[in-house]
Amino acid sequence: MNKNEYNRLVDLLLDFGEAMLLSGGEVSRVEDSIARMGRAFGALETDVFVITSSIVLTLCFEDSVRITSTRRIVSSVSTDFIKLEKLNDLSRKCADKNPNIDELGNKLGEIKKLHVRNNKFYIGSLLAAGGFAIFFGGSVPDGVAAGVFALAICLLQQRVAPKCPNSIIFNFICSAVIGGCICLIAGLLPFLHSDKIIIGDIMLLIPGIAITNSVRDMLVGNMLSGGIKFIESLLCTGALSLGFMLAISAIGV
Amino acid sequence: MKPVIIQLITAFIGSMGFAMLFNVNKKYIIQGAAGGLIGWAIYLICESAGMSMFVSSVITGIFCSAFAEIMARIMKAPAIIFYIPAVVPLIPGSSLYYTVSNAVAGNAELFRSFGFATIQYTFGIAAGITVVSAVIYMVGKTQNNH
Repeated sequence: MNKNEYNRLVDLLLDFGEAMLLSGGEVSRVEDSIARMGRAFGALETDVFVITSSIVLTLCFEDSVRITSTRRIVSSVSTDFIKLEKLNDLSRKCADKNPNIDELGNKLGEIKKLHVRNNKFYIGSLLAAGGFAIFFGGSVPDGVAAGVFALAICLLQQRVAPKCPNSIIFNFICSAVIGGCICLIAGLLPFLHSDKIIIGDIMLLIPGIAITNSVRDMLVGNMLSGGIKFIESLLCTGALSLGFMLAISAIGV
Repeated sequence: MKPVIIQLITAFIGSMGFAMLFNVNKKYIIQGAAGGLIGWAIYLICESAGMSMFVSSVITGIFCSAFAEIMARIMKAPAIIFYIPAVVPLIPGSSLYYTVSNAVAGNAELFRSFGFATIQYTFGIAAGITVVSAVIYMVGKTQNNH
């Protein structure tokens, strides 16, 4: 490989890491995958450092060529496990056989073009919110109402979230608006329980998985990335609680 | 229907919903949802055996994580795909809501106990997953040394 190819490889590996991180991959998985692919392409040493907002990669090749590159990650994560699975397969295939840079570039481009199917997203949100409203003690009408409001949350996530500066502000707006609407509807239809409906919809917004994962990251030794995610999730939960508090105290239950 | 059966069914539906929402491959959705159902059943068993909320969460966390790692090895897919739907019923959405609503209502006593429950759930699950990650790491190290 010549100098240009080395540079292209580093760029591709950063693209790969970014795609994996943004589709919901854990920090340790991204680090391991990049290192594995680097070695498969003949790097003698790979140094990768990943946190949720940045990737730093150094590859060391024969004839003491050493390339370092960084990538700042600005987009927010949108979990997509089909993408993650395909990226994971790609990294394993690279490590198994003699890889080729062009092939890696093409395959990565194909995976990045995949889109989430909206229907699956809507139906999933509806089932999740409805299911958990009943799970936590709501009646069947509560479950249906939680499902309907889940669709409203999906709409906000697609229309309003991209215009918000960050997920903390979005969580506040979303919970205040949705909480207010739920309290109003429950006031008009007395057979509905506003608390159970809100709980079903909270399950969609609460960064519960992010919190447990970040605590796990810290306990396993990834202090920095775990800590960043932990603080972000706590602030998101705080904003979510404030939004609902505002709705409950303004409209009353 | 008994509340326990309703909870198990809705845990399955809710976990399936989350699997779809996160765009899990069709092949793995049922496994993830089944993980959610079994995980919640284990939590209920622990609770009815008289264990505290924290210990029950740790045990369920260990189960969910071990389940995901085993499925990942069978299906050759990342463990997180199975782990997230399985652990979702343990997310303390309900206790968080009651923490907040009691704060608004000014019930300091209830606010404290629900807030404490929320923290216990969260750290319990995280501790459970950490146990499994640590064991896998140590087993991997021992195998490499031989």
